[in-house]
Amino acid sequence: MSAVLPGHAYVAALAGLPHLTPSRLRRLLADRDPVKTWESIRAGKLHWGLLDPGVGHADSSKPGEPGPPPELIPVFASQPEPSWTPAALARAWRVHAERTDPGDVWTAYQAAGIQVCAHGGDNYPAVLDEDPEAPPVLFWLGSLSALERPTVALVGTRACSHYGEEVAAELGSGLSEAGVSVVSGLALGIDGAAHRGALARGGAPPLGIAGSGLDVIYPRRHARLWQQVGTRGGLVSEAPLGAAAEAWRFPWRNRLIAALSDVVVVVESHRAGGALLTVEAAMRRGVTVLAVPGSVRSPASVGTNALIADGCPPARDVDDVLVALGLSRSTSHRVQQVHSCIPAPPAPPDSLEGMIWASLDSEPTPTEVILARTGLPLGEVAAALDHLAEAGWLRAGDGWWQQVVKVPSCSAD
Amino acid sequence: MIATVPSATLLGVDGRPVSVEVQVVSGMPCFSIVGLPDAACRESRDRVRAAIVSSGLYWPNKRVTVNLAPSGVRKSGAGLDLPIAVALLAADGQIPSARLADLAFVGELGLDGSIRPVVGTVPMAEAIQAPVLVVPDASAAQAGLVGRHQIRPVGTLTALVGALRGSEPWPAPAECVPVEAQLEPVLDLADVKGQRLGRWAVEVAAAGGHHLLLIGPPGSGKTMLARRLPGILPPLRREQALEAMRVHSAAGLSWPGNGLMVRPPFRAPHHGASAVSLIGGGASWMRPGEISLAHSGVLFLDEMGEFPASVLDTLRQPLEEGVVRVCRARATVTFPARFLLVGAMNPCPCGEGMTQWECRCSEQARARYARRLSGPLLDRFDLRVPVGRPVVAELLRESTQESTVTIAARVERARELATARGMACNAELPARRLDELAPLSAAASRLIERRLRSGALSARGLHRVRRVARTLADLGEAGELVETEHVAAALELRVGLSSLLPSLAA
Repeated sequence: MSAVLPGHAYVAALAGLPHLTPSRLRRLLADRDPVKTWESIRAGKLHWGLLDPGVGHADSSKPGEPGPPPELIPVFASQPEPSWTPAALARAWRVHAERTDPGDVWTAYQAAGIQVCAHGGDNYPAVLDEDPEAPPVLFWLGSLSALERPTVALVGTRACSHYGEEVAAELGSGLSEAGVSVVSGLALGIDGAAHRGALARGGAPPLGIAGSGLDVIYPRRHARLWQQVGTRGGLVSEAPLGAAAEAWRFPWRNRLIAALSDVVVVVESHRAGGALLTVEAAMRRGVTVLAVPGSVRSPASVGTNALIADGCPPARDVDDVLVALGLSRSTSHRVQQVHSCIPAPPAPPDSLEGMIWASLDSEPTPTEVILARTGLPLGEVAAALDHLAEAGWLRAGDGWWQQVVKVPSCSAD
Repeated sequence: MIATVPSATLLGVDGRPVSVEVQVVSGMPCFSIVGLPDAACRESRDRVRAAIVSSGLYWPNKRVTVNLAPSGVRKSGAGLDLPIAVALLAADGQIPSARLADLAFVGELGLDGSIRPVVGTVPMAEAIQAPVLVVPDASAAQAGLVGRHQIRPVGTLTALVGALRGSEPWPAPAECVPVEAQLEPVLDLADVKGQRLGRWAVEVAAAGGHHLLLIGPPGSGKTMLARRLPGILPPLRREQALEAMRVHSAAGLSWPGNGLMVRPPFRAPHHGASAVSLIGGGASWMRPGEISLAHSGVLFLDEMGEFPASVLDTLRQPLEEGVVRVCRARATVTFPARFLLVGAMNPCPCGEGMTQWECRCSEQARARYARRLSGPLLDRFDLRVPVGRPVVAELLRESTQESTVTIAARVERARELATARGMACNAELPARRLDELAPLSAAASRLIERRLRSGALSARGLHRVRRVARTLADLGEAGELVETEHVAAALELRVGLSSLLPSLAA
């Protein structure tokens, strides 16, 4: 409560109010001194019109609309209160404000090393200044130096295939090496693979956009990735410290990914999915969207193939993305490569290794299948597979093997 | 008059000698048992009286005191009925005390004077020092296994009293049925179509005593493979058989033939099993659990993912130590528990998690399923193998796979090699002696080094892979050096959990 607290401290405290969507926060902060807003909430003197001008109107819950009424946000349906009337909301906020000292909140942010910046502040990312759905407040860990470079969002489904995971990782590492910052949502599946790829070989700093508070690691399995992205690049969220990964936060997170990126690449997406929300947000902003083509039989590529059918340019490799960014001129040399990309057997077909090689598919083949096709004892097969993998002809997975398409001329180019 | 008869009682899987003292003196007619009898033991008063009366003998209308010495040890079960009756008759002068010298008794009495078999004959017989042991007919074979006593099987109290009085000869022991005739036929591994990796895994598990985890969709043949594992295990050695029989006897279970146990036990508890039923214990009677019944044999946990996590975690310490110490307020009992653990489970609750788009489970459901198996438990499986559904063509093909007989012979030779190294099996090779007992060829060390560097192999997994590679080399009779093919095969038989249980993926 002391006067020495910066305005940011009150912004951070306001962001921590319960059931606060970015649109509500924006109304709270619009043209008002955050200190005064905080005091009026505490005193119970907040003008109800500030809470939800559209109460009772069933307007869209899409991010970007001025303020989705709380009742419409699905997560509230499971709350004990059937709906949050402005009065109830004001009460909940007042109770929260009475129990919270903005000084403590500020100390917590400083202790966690988290930067806080309100829209219009000095260190607010310039790219978001003019955004129609600019976050009223941003929190970040690490640095935002990624935003000084070209940025590409690699997004996709959590339930991805091996193919999607590999392509995401390849694009991630290729782009990162080319000096492009990879932006992604830190989720399971494509998001995680993209960032793992970006971190694998070094290069441009990655940027992770979290849906939850920066101290709530979600998903927990990505704790290590989360930490690595935070140290090598930056982690951004508009959720306050302690905010759980509630379902309604993710569409907002997705529009932030689109807003921070120069190009959005959808690696794999099911017929409907969060990645398509990112695509919509990107299209509203005129951000180029690319889609990675997939097998017509793979459910995880239905969404991406549909995007291509609708006119999205395909992202076949890093070059396609670099062209979209204007960093590379053409991809014409690739036509030649494709012809020479037919896998050549590493050994004479009548030799043991040649026979084992021939029994593999270009898709992951389980060891059991290789044993069945060759009819050889496990020891011989395993040793030969390992030898082939060491020579780079195979990719070894856990319990499966896959032919690597080796293109000598590609590397010569 | 006082008469004393030696007998024994059971604590856990150990017999304790008990001396049954009966005093019959004139006074108010009464019958009391002292010396910490449990409920079953205290009830023997009524059984003994009824049996004596039904057998046409005389019940003394005097003050009868039975003392079970040492009086500090808790006595359980009905096995003391017979010694109490005999001592009482001797104290009352109905049978000559002199003829009781060198005799010990174990048996339960029926109200009609019949003598019934008791639980734990083998360990109780082991505890008895007297040279002649009188046991119920049905327990004679078990008691004879100890081999130290002359066994006198009896069927009724009347026959026993006749023999003790010398008026009749001792009843002749029943004819022994050959054990082989009573054994069930072994399930043949040749019945398993396809499943090459699974068959290798079963063979290696048997040869090296490596714990085995089979993961695959329903109907892929996990259970079929596991049930064929005991068939290729070498037959029990005499001391193993005796240990196994003590446990079975203490649990009140019989085994085929009731002679020396030849086949390793195979226990497959249902996943509803409680922790106590698995590790042993119980309120009134310290009964050995499933893991002890599987001692020297196989413990097969089918649908391992359905067992409660708390129950599975109780297996960790016995898996490490080979024994389980069950502690209760009254007593602490150590049961043997050196078993080969075979687990079978689905990759996820719907079972289809290994095929990419077939799984209908939510992320949370899969994570919950995988969490049932704690990391430390999963780590104890040297062999972790995916078992996919066999393709139709393989199911229809005439089997040309090796039969159980061929594989069992190979397994036995491998086990002999392990014994020559001073180990019961390769799974018990101590980590610090691996370099000496399982030296790697230069190429094999390079392979291991590559896998360690790539992170595919952890430091802890390294020892397990080397032990399995040792077993594979023994099976191939490859000599002392472990070659690349053995290490490569061992790595294939220990598939990373992330691809077996999709929810554990990084």
